[in-house]
Amino acid sequence: MIAMLVVQIVLSIILASIFLIRPSVTAGTGWKILAFIGLCALPFLCIVGGMNTHMQRSEQTQFCISCHAMVPYGQSLYVDDPSYLPAQHFQNHRVPADEACYACHADYSIYGPLKDKMRGLTRIYMQYVSSPPNPIRIPGGYQNSQCLHCHLGARSFEENQIHAAVMDSLKSNQMSCLTSGCHDTAHNIAQLSHVKFWRPGQ
Amino acid sequence: MRLSEVGMERLLRISSAFIILGLVVEIISLLWYHPLSFVLFAFIGISLIGLGILVYLVSLAFVASRSTDSHNST
Repeated sequence: MIAMLVVQIVLSIILASIFLIRPSVTAGTGWKILAFIGLCALPFLCIVGGMNTHMQRSEQTQFCISCHAMVPYGQSLYVDDPSYLPAQHFQNHRVPADEACYACHADYSIYGPLKDKMRGLTRIYMQYVSSPPNPIRIPGGYQNSQCLHCHLGARSFEENQIHAAVMDSLKSNQMSCLTSGCHDTAHNIAQLSHVKFWRPGQ
Repeated sequence: MRLSEVGMERLLRISSAFIILGLVVEIISLLWYHPLSFVLFAFIGISLIGLGILVYLVSLAFVASRSTDSHNST
């Protein structure tokens, strides 16, 4: 995918360089077509390809924890304690390990990824211009839809009597999965210095 | 060479320069694995490439208006 994008970019640069050095070549019909390809069609495809690549890259766990403020959140995925919800999901591959952050922190609506990117820009502003809050809070709180996206319809989730009793409240987000006393230990980064860590392969 | 042709060539040069710069920025952003690389691509790369495409399209309009003018004068 990236290799194809690089080929497109290189081809586009070669064509644009020709028109930069000798724009008079566009007098011929064949060159007019090449000019359209090199100065309009290919660059447009490069924008689309680049955007797609960057969007996919930003879904990677490594990408998220490359920000200094996110490092402890990345470490919390390795806590050796099943009550730590993100760690439990990450270590047991209930979410794809290389997209662990995105799996639970993406808005799954149609414009979700775009909305998340816009929100991400405010995080970048905090990182480089102001300072990120400690601890980092999700605007509007954690939405149950992030959990229900995977768990809704799963037998073990729906047959659980507690879940079944409060299902409507969970779906309407009136009762939070995380802050209603049920699954209340998430990243808990304030306690990271007091916990044991799991080391993969040991 | 007529003045309008010089203008057209200048537009093509400007368009090419913008596109090359934008694509170089895109390559740098792809090689740089950092949250800022997305910002670099989205705000600088896309703007430069988009501007290049826009200038090229303006040059096409320039050609179209020129050929209409010469058709009317005959």
